[in-house]
Amino acid sequence: MTPGGRFWDRLRFIEALETLDVDFSKLAFSSKEDVDEFYDEVDRLLQGTSRRWYFLVNYAGCTIAEDVWDHFGERGKHSNITHGLGTVRFGVSAPMRETIRARAMLAQFRANVFETREEALAALAELRKRRVVTGVSSTEGLLQVQDVAVRFGGIQALRGVSFEVQTGEIFSMIGPNGAGKTSMLNVISGFYRPERGRIVFKGEDRTNLKAYEVAELGVARTFQNVALFKGMSVLDNIMTGRLLKMRGSFLLDALWWGPARRQELEHRAAVERIIDFLEIEAIRKAPAGRLPYGLQKRVELARALAAEPTLLLLDEPMAGMNVEEKEDIARFILDINDEWGTTIILIEHDMGVVMDISSHVLVLDYGAKIAEGSPGEVRTDPAVVRAYLGEPQ
Amino acid sequence: MELLYGVFVGPFRDMLTAPTFLVEVLIGGIAAGLMYSLVALGFVLIFKASGVFNFAQGVMVLFAALTLVGLMERGVPIPFALALTMLIMVALAFAIERVVLRPLVNQEQIILFMATIGLNFFLEGFGELVWGSNVKKLDIGIPDSSFMVAGVQMNKLEMTAALTSAVLVAILAVFFQKTRVGRALRAVADDHEAALSIGIPLNTIWVVVWSVAGLVAIVAGIMWGAKSGVQFSLSLIALKALPVLILGGFTSVPGAIVGGLIIGVGEKLAEVYWGPLVGGAIENWFAYVMALTFLLFRPQGLFGERIIERV
Amino acid sequence: MIYREAGQFKTTYASDQAVFPIAQDRWVVLLLLLAAFVLPPLMANEYWLQAVLIPFLIYSLAAIGLNLLTGYAGQLSLGTGGFMAAGAYGAFKITTAFPGLNVLLVFVLSGVIAALVGVVFGVPSLRIKGFYLAVATLAAQFFLLWLFNKVAWFTNYASSGTITAPPRTVLGLMVTGPAATATARYLTALALVVLFAAVAKNLVRGRVGRSWMAIRDRDIAAEIIGVRPLRTKLLAFAISSFYCGVAGAELVFLYLGSVETLAFDINLSFLVLFMVIIGGLGSILGSFLGAAFIVLVPIFLTNVPEKIGLGLPVALQKQVELMVFGGLILFFLIVEPNGLARLWQITKEKLRLWPFPH
Repeated sequence: MTPGGRFWDRLRFIEALETLDVDFSKLAFSSKEDVDEFYDEVDRLLQGTSRRWYFLVNYAGCTIAEDVWDHFGERGKHSNITHGLGTVRFGVSAPMRETIRARAMLAQFRANVFETREEALAALAELRKRRVVTGVSSTEGLLQVQDVAVRFGGIQALRGVSFEVQTGEIFSMIGPNGAGKTSMLNVISGFYRPERGRIVFKGEDRTNLKAYEVAELGVARTFQNVALFKGMSVLDNIMTGRLLKMRGSFLLDALWWGPARRQELEHRAAVERIIDFLEIEAIRKAPAGRLPYGLQKRVELARALAAEPTLLLLDEPMAGMNVEEKEDIARFILDINDEWGTTIILIEHDMGVVMDISSHVLVLDYGAKIAEGSPGEVRTDPAVVRAYLGEPQ
Repeated sequence: MELLYGVFVGPFRDMLTAPTFLVEVLIGGIAAGLMYSLVALGFVLIFKASGVFNFAQGVMVLFAALTLVGLMERGVPIPFALALTMLIMVALAFAIERVVLRPLVNQEQIILFMATIGLNFFLEGFGELVWGSNVKKLDIGIPDSSFMVAGVQMNKLEMTAALTSAVLVAILAVFFQKTRVGRALRAVADDHEAALSIGIPLNTIWVVVWSVAGLVAIVAGIMWGAKSGVQFSLSLIALKALPVLILGGFTSVPGAIVGGLIIGVGEKLAEVYWGPLVGGAIENWFAYVMALTFLLFRPQGLFGERIIERV
Repeated sequence: MIYREAGQFKTTYASDQAVFPIAQDRWVVLLLLLAAFVLPPLMANEYWLQAVLIPFLIYSLAAIGLNLLTGYAGQLSLGTGGFMAAGAYGAFKITTAFPGLNVLLVFVLSGVIAALVGVVFGVPSLRIKGFYLAVATLAAQFFLLWLFNKVAWFTNYASSGTITAPPRTVLGLMVTGPAATATARYLTALALVVLFAAVAKNLVRGRVGRSWMAIRDRDIAAEIIGVRPLRTKLLAFAISSFYCGVAGAELVFLYLGSVETLAFDINLSFLVLFMVIIGGLGSILGSFLGAAFIVLVPIFLTNVPEKIGLGLPVALQKQVELMVFGGLILFFLIVEPNGLARLWQITKEKLRLWPFPH
């Protein structure tokens, strides 16, 4: 660290957390030169280290001039990309929070704004945990949706929606009926081709893949109107979920011998584990078409899990259920996320559930994104309240 | 080389060097096509209004013709015979609605289709049981003779059939678009439940539709019967109507006409100009292959609605 | 029920997934198989073998083929006759070109030829569904029959336009041709059907069968889950046509002896479809039950009315047969769309509870 620079005692490495602690408290950025000075200092500092760092930024009492924001964002983008793994902010004043979130929406980055240092550190810990699990840098995110638009005939179902889903989080999409949530899932699954925009999954462009190719990459889903295979038993339905994991020689299949038989039994064992997990042992031989609605939804969840997906898309998994059943499914979703580290995108109408279990929420209305953030932020966002939640509570 | 010439050059040269003959072939094709359309119309009506693909339409044509001829043979004067046949077809419509449609009301389309196959065989056996199975001559007073128009030879019977088909189609088109019942039928075709909820009596509608289809079957039966005699193979016409439906779409009345024309003309041209290359009898399969090729490019047919799948 | 099924617990997944999980069921089936191989040659007369049992076996094979395509994979096909013809004419050409080749191998090869034909006509199935596909298969039916009729090469330029099965032996026993006994032909047909039915059952309860049923039940959801639609459908067409091809070859070689294209026309396609519907879509057992039913009804109609004093002239009989078939299709579709196989299941369940009503 070169002593004498204006910021040198405001930058501190926390090795154990792989974090650069940045103290903006009571600082004023009134010109571009201020911003340049800061980022030059940071670049000099971090060039000396051979790896990338999280940024933990204390904004208490900090002011940033109106016309300097763009430059701030520009330099920050470059610095973060080369040196950063993710930025967590705390102590932000209310007006500044608005600005940061607005800019985040436009520029498609994660705002990660918190009240206190403790909350910020907790979020940081989350980010670090996920990165360890999948080895994917959290600035990239598992899934990036970039400016996706979809039209059917005369109806614009999605108008240029963008967002990013981090690895290992539970990401909820909410919005009134017809907002385009299921259409978004259909685009991600590869069932609809968007008229513009990109889907980037695991760092690569997947926009034009066919549905079964997307499935092969590790994306599984459930459907709004249960799409079970009515003619098969529950067990067979779930085994179908494992189809992508079955490599078979057709000839050996025909003889039910050797590797074919062994593979079938292995997959049966894996499926039984899922049946145990979701507590549906009693109905495993029942024809799927004869089950009550709630159980059908659970079987569909099992079928999606059987594929051991990296990304799980759930379309209203709790529709039509009573309170107890919802609690069951919510528990299952949390368990799936916890035990297997599966990233989950959830469409749900029950606000209580969404606020309880999600780590990030996206709000759609008439095919456009109107808000995004942590559950708490979204709940009080005036645009969301106007469009969806009715009177603020 | 010879083959290439024979397929791509020869037939067109033949067409151009004998234009009168070409016109005759075309007319023959149009006439045949219109008669296919007649049968296809019956399908379209029923499918439009009840979503059932009535495989038994062909046998209904046969049954109508058999009944008419049977009555005439027993000395019933033509107008009474016609009226009586109409009544019988309406009764048949009632019976079908009661026995076949109502019990199967919520089943998938494929089950309904197979039920109409069963109906097809049942009516075939029944018709032959009642009226006998030998070929019958149907004489409606129009001679099967040719006459000349501007140097082109045409057949009186075929022309009458073509004209009748055209008139019938026009009537039906107006019926669907302008009358109350027609509108109700279109509502039912769109959405059974919605139609029910605004008070349209589904069962009555179905009886009406199947009766109208029965009427169409009578006309088709008369035309085809007069042309080639009333016999068992008439029910196979139903199979020929399928390519017509593919081309024209299953729910379009004008589509049935256009489809019929395309198939009729295409078939005749193929048989006359390309047939000799391969020993003839192309008519057996040409229509299907044409429909199949078409389907590959436009799975919903010419006039059918684009099916947008929702998940 | 005659024997107690309760109390038989499975401790391994393997035993749970067996075709006949219950021990007594296994014994019964083995006994039936044994009886099938032994009793008819000893006890049945020529008529029963020739007119009932052999056609039953052959139609069962064809019904299994169509059931795989329509019942399990959900692809409606009206081209069964055409595919059977492909197998028959294929077998004829192969065996006349290579007389030394074992006739069983000829059957298998003819199945392969039929499978290839099936794949070609199955390609449209990716874009076309439901009835539209039925029309496509009709194209196959009419085109193939026209082809075999027109192109004299297929009949080895015979002036009569028919193909005749030449005499062939298996393990020294004369199996085809005029000198083959009904017993020999019966045993061959039986062996082939048992083998292919076992193969079909294995396919159907494993990965392949599940992907077929997934396409049948919800093809879009299946694709989103990862089932490759074209591959799955083409496999269904291939295997189904294989079975129909072998059945067609058997029809000529083991049953009729000599045949012209008329034998494979659209009526045969409908006949096999009826067997599958009445027997039960999506059931191997159903294919057998349906075939038995269809083979027995005409026999019943020929013999029974006389016995009860209601003589029926022959011409009338044909019409009554049509009415009975049609009526039965309607009856089954209304009462039990899943056919005889499901009725059998329901009967077994009722027997388990008997004499209690529920």
